[in-house]
Amino acid sequence: MTEEPVIRIDNVSKSFLSEEKPVAVLENVSFNVGKEFLCIVGPSGCGKSTLLRMIDGLDRPSQGNVYFHGKPVEGPTPMMGMVFQTFALIPWKTVLENVEMGLAWMKITEEDRLRRSEKFIQDVGLDGFEASYPKELSGGMKQRVGIARALALEPEVLLMDEPFSSLDALTAEGLRKEVLEIWSNPQFSTNSVIMVTHNVQEAVGMADTVIVMSPRPGKVIDNVRIEMDRPRDQRDPRFYDYVDRIISKIS
Amino acid sequence: MDLALALQLNAVDPLNPINLPYFAARSLLRLTLAFGLSLGFALAYGIAAAMSRRASHVLLPVLDVLQSVPVLGFLPAVFIFVLTRVPGEGGQELASIILIFTAMVWAMTFAVITGINQIPNDIKEASKAYGITRSRYLRQVVLPAIYPELIWGCILAWGGAWYFIPVEEYATFGMTQVQLKGLGFFIAQAATESRLDSAIIGLVAMVLVIIAINRIVWRPLVARTEKYRYEATGGQRGFHARHGKLRSSLLKYEGRIANPIVTFFKYEKTNLSSFLETVPRVHVPPKVRERLARIFLVTRVIVIIGFLGLMVLVIFFLENSPIPTLQAALNQIQSFQPIKGCTGCLSGFPLLAYSTASSLLRLLAAYLIALGWTLLAGIAIARRQKLAKALIPIFDIGQSIPATALFPIVTLLILSRISSPMGIQLASIVLLLTGMQWYLLFNIIGAIHNIPNDISESTSAYGVSGKRFIREILIPASFPAIISGSMQAWGGGWNATIVSEYIVTGQQQVQQVAGLGAVLVNANNAGSAGTVVIATAIIIMTLTILIINRLVWHRLMKRADRYKFES
Repeated sequence: MTEEPVIRIDNVSKSFLSEEKPVAVLENVSFNVGKEFLCIVGPSGCGKSTLLRMIDGLDRPSQGNVYFHGKPVEGPTPMMGMVFQTFALIPWKTVLENVEMGLAWMKITEEDRLRRSEKFIQDVGLDGFEASYPKELSGGMKQRVGIARALALEPEVLLMDEPFSSLDALTAEGLRKEVLEIWSNPQFSTNSVIMVTHNVQEAVGMADTVIVMSPRPGKVIDNVRIEMDRPRDQRDPRFYDYVDRIISKIS
Repeated sequence: MDLALALQLNAVDPLNPINLPYFAARSLLRLTLAFGLSLGFALAYGIAAAMSRRASHVLLPVLDVLQSVPVLGFLPAVFIFVLTRVPGEGGQELASIILIFTAMVWAMTFAVITGINQIPNDIKEASKAYGITRSRYLRQVVLPAIYPELIWGCILAWGGAWYFIPVEEYATFGMTQVQLKGLGFFIAQAATESRLDSAIIGLVAMVLVIIAINRIVWRPLVARTEKYRYEATGGQRGFHARHGKLRSSLLKYEGRIANPIVTFFKYEKTNLSSFLETVPRVHVPPKVRERLARIFLVTRVIVIIGFLGLMVLVIFFLENSPIPTLQAALNQIQSFQPIKGCTGCLSGFPLLAYSTASSLLRLLAAYLIALGWTLLAGIAIARRQKLAKALIPIFDIGQSIPATALFPIVTLLILSRISSPMGIQLASIVLLLTGMQWYLLFNIIGAIHNIPNDISESTSAYGVSGKRFIREILIPASFPAIISGSMQAWGGGWNATIVSEYIVTGQQQVQQVAGLGAVLVNANNAGSAGTVVIATAIIIMTLTILIINRLVWHRLMKRADRYKFES
């Protein structure tokens, strides 16, 4: 190992108590995340969301450790932004207030906060909706707020927990494209994206690396590099080869 | 032989703790008999209403009106009616069982109907397609479907009935003294004799019995309900979510039993319309539902006014007094005084106005104290899991103590230490507090408990913590619960005024403070000479509650909408 990766997951196991009995969710999971777009795929219940929460410091491993630039993660930091499957917006805060939520964490002036929030609200295509409340927005727009909230931190690592699975197919497809556009922008400050999904096509369509996990207790069963240029064509035979390879591992 | 021994001991000193098992058994027997009657009625009525569309057109509205009839208002009439026919202890027992039955039966009947209505359509169609006979359908589909709702309805009814036990085991109606052996009697008798230790022993015994029955009977039955539930996606997170919901509906139910006139106005929606909401398969457009609710609101106002008038007439009839003219009725109000022949005391309408104002002030004081401590407790529980684990069972026990059983003890405790007019004011406020605080506490704890997991995760992922978390998340998230808890608390508080402003301490000594509750009790003691005053005081109380609801709670309720999480 020559250079320390951005995120290093070192032999992580996790179990929790269910009706007094310990249930193993993750078993000896290890992999590195560099400056890349990484997807974690696996069947439901394999602990992939738990793993993502441990990377953000929302949850602790039972064994092993998660390192961020070589230091163990001890709690949430403004250097990582999290996008939730269910959006997790505060219903009594406006779009602007929701996006600003994490900025109070940083020692920046109120003016800067406003400027930054507005920039990212624009970037996700929500200008004009700053004063709206989440319940006035469609699902796709809500997730845009969720993404803007994460991006406003200008985080080094962007974490996304099944960000498109609460949306209808068409909306999801559009938003996927936009996320990839933001990702490919050379001015984009985020180095790594880690996305959890159970949709193999989605993972192959977006990621540089796909980590494939087994059913509970989750273990890493494959680590696939997707060597295709973006935008990727779903009808490309190589695309299908990747998808087939991953699906055959899971089932 | 044991029984005879116990009865002998009774004669020497009824407050000997040795008597407690016997007293507990008597209270329990009363509850169990009434429970059996209620269960039979609920099953028969509920199945009839839910299985036949035509029958339901009659049975549902009748049920809605019947359950809105005030039980405590019933109390004197039932006792006087039964005792004139079956004199002695037998009559008293019979009357008390009838009353407990009326307190229990409605929650259980509604549970049966709700359970049947939750049977999914595909199951009904499948049973038809496979030619299941009616009796097999009843046994294999209907009864299992009823089971979960019915168990919760039973717990509700049983808890509500405990609230009632102290009231009807030791009561006075004009000349009639009702004293039924039981735990409620034990506590009340001890308080009358100023024997604090005995009163507390009685209370502990009652709480132990309540907890034991919860553990031994209800909890195992609840554990089996999951098996009979159709789909579980509705966000019901197992036992605790149901339990939290139960606690608040239990309090509501107690309130309805104690003073349905008040409770009735506390909730905009009538039970029928909320019942319609629980029926998932019948689609009722919101407009129709609103109109239905309004129709039932009007009929219930008429029923209650009619009921008040009827009660006045019944009491006049039973006491063989002439029915008063309007002029005589006005005279009765004008000359009404809490203490007879008191010169310089207020009387008539000025007295009523002054009483209303002082009741209001005491309620406000008790409310502010309750809101303060429950909010702090809620925040503390939200922030420390360990604290929650320690405190919630304690609160649970506290709430399971029927307020009616606690009143005599609180009074005794405070008045034995502070005997000035301050003492009785303080006692009165503390009594109101015991009637108000649990509504707020459990609503707030419930709201904090219901903050969705993703919201708590996102707040910690974005560094919202400490004071910011309390200000921006906890308080707004519990705001709707604080408002609905406040409405319930004020209703509970108004109910409690009746027992908190006129207090009989040892050796029949009466201590009272100015208030609408005291007016009601004094007028009740005056027999037929007080009936018009009672009706007037109830109307004033109702109007005051209505005005406060319109001016304060409804406005806040509208604002609370934006603090609700989307389901």
